[in-house]
Amino acid sequence: MIPLCLPATLDSLDEIGKYIVAATTEAKLETKPAYGLRLAVDEIATNIITHGYEETGKAGNVTVSGEITDSSLTIVLEDSGIPFDPLSRKLPSEDELNLPLEERDIGGLGIFLVLKGVDSFSYEFINGKNRNMFTMNLPGKA
Amino acid sequence: MAIETKIDGTNVIATVSGEIDGKSAPQLQSELLAALQDGNRLLVDMKGVTYLSSAGLRMLLLLYRQIATKKGKVVLVGVSDEIRDTMSMTGFINFFTLVDTQEAGISALS
Repeated sequence: MIPLCLPATLDSLDEIGKYIVAATTEAKLETKPAYGLRLAVDEIATNIITHGYEETGKAGNVTVSGEITDSSLTIVLEDSGIPFDPLSRKLPSEDELNLPLEERDIGGLGIFLVLKGVDSFSYEFINGKNRNMFTMNLPGKA
Repeated sequence: MAIETKIDGTNVIATVSGEIDGKSAPQLQSELLAALQDGNRLLVDMKGVTYLSSAGLRMLLLLYRQIATKKGKVVLVGVSDEIRDTMSMTGFINFFTLVDTQEAGISALS
């Protein structure tokens, strides 16, 4: 798929969402995994835009690209905001997820949803860029 | 994202449609909190909501806490399967009453 380069603002979340929906449709992903992937990419894109750019007063772009092969659909988000490895965040434990909402610390839920939503997720900082990669297996085609 | 609210006694009835993400959740949150000045029972009709991210969960958490301090109740109507999945894997689902229709929601509020 043709990569899409967007300004790193919250207005771009819509366009990123549409790109993922187009990719999951083309890859013929079922509804639930398609939703999980869209949620995962949106969570990371939101983090990049708010923490990597807006909070630091930096302006820049986020690029989303997609590749479909016989066995997988891979989405990559690239940005030049501050380096941030989502996997360095502490995830909520099973016990914490069962706490009453009055006692909840909301942090880390986004990354938790990323890891629940995709078959594999990886992060690297390469050539001055954050690179977040999301992969879904396409069982029907393998 | 679009929101419409009406106030009926102590019931606040909000109808939301579209996507609740990092951009729309803060706006929705402030509109719902403003509407809750006048009541402590909140029904959110989500039949038209197609997407909810962790920003939406954060909003639900805040509304829940706000209403809990006023000894009120939150009822969600017509939550999609995918959003139910998100709410159940994060442990949110047990704290909200989920029903299928507005009528059932209004009786669940009282």
